[in-house]
Amino acid sequence: MVVEQQGACALKQAWHLPLQQPLPLGPAKKAKPQVSDGFTVKAMMKNSVVRGPPVAGAFKERTTKPTAFRKFYERGDFPIALEHDTRGNKIAWKVEIEKLDYHHYLPLFFDGLCEMTFPYEFFARQGIHDMLEHGGDKILPVIPQLIIPIKNALNLRNRQVICITLKVLQHLVMSADSVGEALVPYYRQILPVLNIFKNMNVNSGDGIDYSQHKRENIGDLIQETLEVFERYGGEDAYINIKYMVPTYQSCILN
Amino acid sequence: MAGADIKPKCMERAKKWSDEVENLYRFQQAGYRDEIEYKQVKHVDMVDRWPETGFVKKLQRRDNTFYYYNRQRECDDKEVHKVKVYAY
Repeated sequence: MVVEQQGACALKQAWHLPLQQPLPLGPAKKAKPQVSDGFTVKAMMKNSVVRGPPVAGAFKERTTKPTAFRKFYERGDFPIALEHDTRGNKIAWKVEIEKLDYHHYLPLFFDGLCEMTFPYEFFARQGIHDMLEHGGDKILPVIPQLIIPIKNALNLRNRQVICITLKVLQHLVMSADSVGEALVPYYRQILPVLNIFKNMNVNSGDGIDYSQHKRENIGDLIQETLEVFERYGGEDAYINIKYMVPTYQSCILN
Repeated sequence: MAGADIKPKCMERAKKWSDEVENLYRFQQAGYRDEIEYKQVKHVDMVDRWPETGFVKKLQRRDNTFYYYNRQRECDDKEVHKVKVYAY
């Protein structure tokens, strides 16, 4: 009787117990981490993972816009013709270079540095080379007009265009007296891109880097160009270069 | 004109590079045999040269376009055997 009573009591007690949830059969579920941007309220949540910053694109190549050089070339305004010889191509001038108006033509040829396709890039490069070789005193007054085309060419961030522009800059500085010193006030416009690419060297261990011999290694070419700027830029050149390219070491003072 | 129709007697190919071969290369690039023919055709007394090296600087072709040449050597060793040396 006692047992039955006890059993009845136990049953009565069981009715008063709260209903239990059924236990899950698999492993316990964890909260899925949420991906969020930095410096947001969502990033402060416990299960949020902060996404890294977006790529800035410093080395990304920019697209080219149609240049004035291409427009003038297709109109036939340039006094040049293409000749094919045993060494490849050569440029023949219809007018003597000494009689050309440098204020009009030299900035146009520099504008063609942005071109990457044949024959535009060949004409621009060869035309600049010839005009700088035979310009003499006519080059110095045109320097301010050349800065914007040079800056546009470097801002494309295209390896080939940068290499050609650097070689052109070296030739420009050595082409006539005082050109190097005239370029010093414009370093703040043309040197920032060189600062970005200065360390673009190939680490090939003990292998041979043929691009160095062909003068196509950007890092070495930038170093060479900055050294030429310092040599031909006068007294203020080094401090101005150092301001824009802090890792540059002087080739004259040391 | 005494030198109007001077023609060379013989021709041979250059074997080794020299300053003279370099200048001949430049004249032949522009379409002339050598300096004598250039002066005959263009009726000029002097040819534009670079002061430092003495190489030809500028030539006018037969179609009246101008060729400009570099200060330094332009004739590679592999082009030397193509240069014709004329004797008068």
